Amino acid sequence: MRDDAFSRCHPALNFFYFTVVLGFTMFIQHPVFLILSFLGATAYAIWLLGLKRTLKINFLLTLPGLMIVALLNPVFNHYGVTTLFYLESSGNHVTLEALVYGLVLGCVLFIVIEWFSCYNQVMTSDKFIYLFGRVIPALSLMLSMALRFVPRFAAQLKVIRNGQKCAGRDISNAGLLNKVRYGLNILSILVTWALENAIETADSMKGRGYGLPGRTAYSIYRFDKRDRCMLAAFLLLFLLFSCGCARGAAFAQYNPRILIAGFVIQQHMAPVDCPVPLAFVTFASFAMFCFLPLMLGIYEEWTMEKSRRHTGMEAVLTYRGIYEGLEDGGWTL
Amino acid sequence: MDIITIRDFTFTYPGQKKEALSHIDMAVQEGSMCVLCGKSGCGKSTLMRQLKSALAAHGKKSGEILFDGKPLEALSHREQSSQIGFVLQNPENQIVTDKVWHELAFGLESLGCDQETIRLRVAEMASYFGIHKWFMKNVSELSGGQKQLLNLASIMAMHPRVLILDEPTSQLDPIAASDFLETVRKINRDIGTTVLITEHRLQDVIPYADQVVIMDEGTLLTQGKPEEIGRVLKGKGHGMFLSMPVPMQIYAEADSDEPCPLTVSEGRKWMTKLMTRQGKEPVYKSPDQGTPVGTAQQRKGKDAVSDVPAIDMQGIWFRYERDGQDVVRDLSLRVRQGEFYTLAGGNGAGKSTALSLLSRVRTPYRGKILLNGKDIRRYSDQELYRGCLGVLPQNPQSMFIKKTVREDLYAIIGGAKEKKSSEYPIAMKKETAVEGIVDLTGLHGLLDRHPYDLSGGEQQRLALAKVLLLRPRILLLDEPTKGLDAEYKQTLGGILKKLKAHGITILMVSHDVEFAAEYSDRVGLFFEGNVVTSKEAHAFFAGNNFYTTAANRMARHYFPEAVTGKEVVECLRKSL
Repeated sequence: MRDDAFSRCHPALNFFYFTVVLGFTMFIQHPVFLILSFLGATAYAIWLLGLKRTLKINFLLTLPGLMIVALLNPVFNHYGVTTLFYLESSGNHVTLEALVYGLVLGCVLFIVIEWFSCYNQVMTSDKFIYLFGRVIPALSLMLSMALRFVPRFAAQLKVIRNGQKCAGRDISNAGLLNKVRYGLNILSILVTWALENAIETADSMKGRGYGLPGRTAYSIYRFDKRDRCMLAAFLLLFLLFSCGCARGAAFAQYNPRILIAGFVIQQHMAPVDCPVPLAFVTFASFAMFCFLPLMLGIYEEWTMEKSRRHTGMEAVLTYRGIYEGLEDGGWTL
Repeated sequence: MDIITIRDFTFTYPGQKKEALSHIDMAVQEGSMCVLCGKSGCGKSTLMRQLKSALAAHGKKSGEILFDGKPLEALSHREQSSQIGFVLQNPENQIVTDKVWHELAFGLESLGCDQETIRLRVAEMASYFGIHKWFMKNVSELSGGQKQLLNLASIMAMHPRVLILDEPTSQLDPIAASDFLETVRKINRDIGTTVLITEHRLQDVIPYADQVVIMDEGTLLTQGKPEEIGRVLKGKGHGMFLSMPVPMQIYAEADSDEPCPLTVSEGRKWMTKLMTRQGKEPVYKSPDQGTPVGTAQQRKGKDAVSDVPAIDMQGIWFRYERDGQDVVRDLSLRVRQGEFYTLAGGNGAGKSTALSLLSRVRTPYRGKILLNGKDIRRYSDQELYRGCLGVLPQNPQSMFIKKTVREDLYAIIGGAKEKKSSEYPIAMKKETAVEGIVDLTGLHGLLDRHPYDLSGGEQQRLALAKVLLLRPRILLLDEPTKGLDAEYKQTLGGILKKLKAHGITILMVSHDVEFAAEYSDRVGLFFEGNVVTSKEAHAFFAGNNFYTTAANRMARHYFPEAVTGKEVVECLRKSL
């Protein structure tokens, strides 16, 4: 896990970015789009999580998921015009269209999961709360309090369990009836404890003026210059590729016949009239959009390195200047 | 000018005849530091809460409380929220939100400050209190001391004129506690905020107080400057003296017309003066010279020592995570039958972890633990926890199940019905057993109360009673004196003494040097996952320079062997 440049951008930007890439991945099922989205997601995931973890997630979790979806679709769906073979036993056609669409769906699932692994790193809970707290301030405080209570309860539960264990009432080592009894006991202790202690929390809130009219919501996020630049870039690219999509540059249909803009499949063309340059612009801008956070991260790392080197050089030069000055003046230290 | 004036204030809780506070008259000067002391349940907290309407208990009131010359009720909720800051006892419970920065801003948000103001004030507070290093953290990652500091800072962010603290350090370890009190003092000194504080650790606050107010049973016993208080209390021979700083206690017992010493260093000077007048020379002891004599040796022969140790830990190693650091390293420890052993040591040294290994909540990855000569792994749960090992958890509330103390006591032995069960296999009638334990722990008169309505010390005793009903032969205590005042400590010490007399082995983990010195037989210093030294309690404290009791630090240049306040007084009497 790393603290990358995009994570430090304003939460609204983070949220906008992920909504757009997820939305376009899910609803524009054009193969080129999917490939671009896949590359963007994987690259960013590697950047954020490291190669090892990304591969681990992919091979253990998402790849099997892809396979299952891809294989199940043709088994249960029998739409499409191209029959691959006929299953005597069940009386069903297995079609090319269903097979391909299953594959596409699997890929979508795969890519969406990949994006979500990035999302989890970037959109931490407090960012989410902040964004939605602006809409409903009471909700943001409530969420924040809930997030405080959950780990607290978990910790207290552990304490109580250990206490009960030392009184000879261990749940893991009891018969079924006792398991239930001890479990209920523990729950009862926890609830009493929580309610009693909540009184003090309420006092603490009242003591600090909670309930006064005109409560504001403070946030530590600021919309700075970089955020504005990023937003402009995002909006521009978004506009470009949405126009392209509106014109059909990324048209894709898998039922009853596979029709994909820009490709001729089984002698059929997609029913769109999108000029080729616009299609290229659409794909290029979407690719840019997907890779922008990564590029920002790399750029920042690079400037960091540059500034570090520069500061080092500066110091060397300054001291060289001083020494030379000393020698010229004939002084000795 | 007085910022708080209380005139003839009387308060009665609803449905009770007895006045919780009666005819209180006091005034707190603006910018001063006022310490309010008294036994648990003397009405300190009730009084403090009355100073802020949002927290005040309901009930019958008479008399008046003025804040800055105006009646308190005339101040709006908004004014009270910002001008009167209140820090409560439990650091955990006061924190509302999940992030440090959000908690700091909470009060300002309530007051409706705008972004810029909040940003500035939060930044200011974070820098002043040194919170900037953990500003972005989740509150669950903080230590107890940090949490209480955060509570203080989030109240100071509202720029209160008066800061009221209700036993703010009772849940903290000694080092975090004195750091916290130092910060409070700094606020009082640098910013001029008026501070009104109640505190168990009086030695850390009384020397710096401008005014000390002593309460007893809802009335105001006496008030004045700290030095005067010492003299007045001495004259009255009041029991409150127990919780005063040790130098003051010793002073009270000795005949002297010198001003009352408040700190250890003042106490030392006072002692020197007193002894020089008698023509006595100080004895400075070099480290290798320490052969404990007198009381120390008398204690040694007293306990019947049997061959099989009650607890025998042999080369224990433990770590929490596979790649983590060892928390317990090659720990070997022997506790004899019927012995009271204290494990002392700093925070995070692994004391509590060692205790959890002993109670089989966790298992070591190397080494062996023998209880009464039998490997702990070969005990069944039933054998181990019922009749062999009793564990008193740090937080007694984690044990309470039922609505009344009586039911709660019976619950641990499988209900009030007189039948033999796996939970209660012995022939003694349950009623007799419970009665005996109630006698021992002094819970009479509390049996129909709700466990949560008991005070801290009483809750502790109830938890202890529950543990004792399981008839342990070995008792493990984790910080049993945390949050207890001097009187409750004495009661607890008395109970432990009785248990020891019945041959029960006690192993205590504690920061409380004074308590350990007074009651335990042997003390071990725990450091870096290991017991560095393990000595008879007297020799242990007499030999240490820093890690020893206040009484010893104060009097060691004359009586190096006197460890507790009582012993110093005894030695003083003999030599005067």
